[in-house]
Amino acid sequence: MNKRFAGLILSFTFLMLIPLQGYAATPMETVETGVNKVLKTLSDPAFKAKSKDQQIATISTEIESVFDFQELSRRTLSREWKKFSAEQQTEFVKLFKELLQGVYADRLLAYSDQKVIYDKELMLKKGRAEVQSYLQTSDGSKIPLFYRLTDKSGSWKVYDIVIEGVSMVKNYRTQFKEILSNGSPEKLLEILREKVK
Amino acid sequence: MNVDPVRKALYMVAVAALFVVFCGYAPAGEINHEPLEPGRLLAQQTRVSANDQLATPRFELLAQAAQAKEDEDDKKDEDADDDEYDDDEYDDDDEYADDDVKLISDPLIQPNTDMYNLNDTLYFAVLKPAARGYGYIIPEELRTAIVNVFYNIRFPVRFLNCLFQGKGQKAGYEFQRFFINTTVGFAGLANVAANYPHLQPSKEDLGQTFAVWGIGYGPYVMLPFLGPSSVRDALGRLGDTFLDPIWWIPVDIWTSIGIRAGEAVNETSLRIGEYEALKAAALDPYVMIRNAWVQNRNKLIAE
Repeated sequence: MNKRFAGLILSFTFLMLIPLQGYAATPMETVETGVNKVLKTLSDPAFKAKSKDQQIATISTEIESVFDFQELSRRTLSREWKKFSAEQQTEFVKLFKELLQGVYADRLLAYSDQKVIYDKELMLKKGRAEVQSYLQTSDGSKIPLFYRLTDKSGSWKVYDIVIEGVSMVKNYRTQFKEILSNGSPEKLLEILREKVK
Repeated sequence: MNVDPVRKALYMVAVAALFVVFCGYAPAGEINHEPLEPGRLLAQQTRVSANDQLATPRFELLAQAAQAKEDEDDKKDEDADDDEYDDDEYDDDDEYADDDVKLISDPLIQPNTDMYNLNDTLYFAVLKPAARGYGYIIPEELRTAIVNVFYNIRFPVRFLNCLFQGKGQKAGYEFQRFFINTTVGFAGLANVAANYPHLQPSKEDLGQTFAVWGIGYGPYVMLPFLGPSSVRDALGRLGDTFLDPIWWIPVDIWTSIGIRAGEAVNETSLRIGEYEALKAAALDPYVMIRNAWVQNRNKLIAE
């Protein structure tokens, strides 16, 4: 009887462990956690006291934990990716990451208490998802801000942001394409290095 | 300025003819089926552009180059079948399957670029300093209220375009919005309707109406002062001016231009830094703006 009871407890414990092991944040949770973390940092008095460079560095790290820059770069270059050597690819990912982090950190610092509304999450094909959120501005209008995520790296990571229908990846893709249509990958890297400096 | 009615009518006909020739015609069914996933919309827009018979040499060259590149890539793909990042994954039936070149033709790239540079210079030399100074004097609340008033006055443009597109429900919401903001919101000063989630602004205009009627973008044009547009949407803008009550205010042309300039300064004062950030993020600001404009436009047309 006692043994049986022990067995029951044991199997119960196992049953409880299974969902815990299999648990991973959903796309929506990933975005919410990431965004809330950044918002919390932005409103932190200790953060506000820092110099601008330090602020950008702090936010950049937080952005990095939510983004899959490898995937983002790969998608942005699309077919052109294969024309880059392995070293060029690595450098491209690094430079593009720096560029985006700088830009977005800078924009985030200008952010002023708009309300973020998380609307819904859509599952797309091939392990991709879209989280639809809205920024409520002071005049009451809503700016659609959608995140595209992939679970390629094992957990959900953002690879694209779509603001008012404008996809960041797609937008950069056309710019890169224009440069690569009459320049080498090295030329593109050159421009990026100059830009990031 | 005295233009006799016959000449005026002839001008109108000429403009309309040019418009149709420039923009090409795509079957109406092609464009606005809902519900639309983003990927399908873009694919459809691509088809619309591809139908555009008026492809210019540059556009053709680009298309040919893209085709040549694709062929080349296809060959490479055969060698690298085991590649985890197979191009299929990124290019076929993907929501990012097309690119800017296919999204809109830009045969006027040279004059457009010149116009963009001029607009850019004017922004930094005139508009931005004016908006800054204005922003120091006028409190933000008032500036937002002025934006609201202008938005509210333009109600007929949105309302009629909803109707032109057969969007009855949207037209109804637009009317409710106008009614609430004009009465409770003191002639549109306060955006009271913002508290009602279903009364979101509908940014309908004549360019979108033309799109729903099946007319393609036509070539991309950078307008002086007004920024990115296409032949279709620029003419839509022109048409919208006549639906705009401000046009009918009986004042001389300079006062009218003054009102518009004032509106632009007011609006810019609330958006200082946005263009700068976009520009800083871009490697090629001209291409960035062209692409962002088309993407945003596609979304507005689909709504």
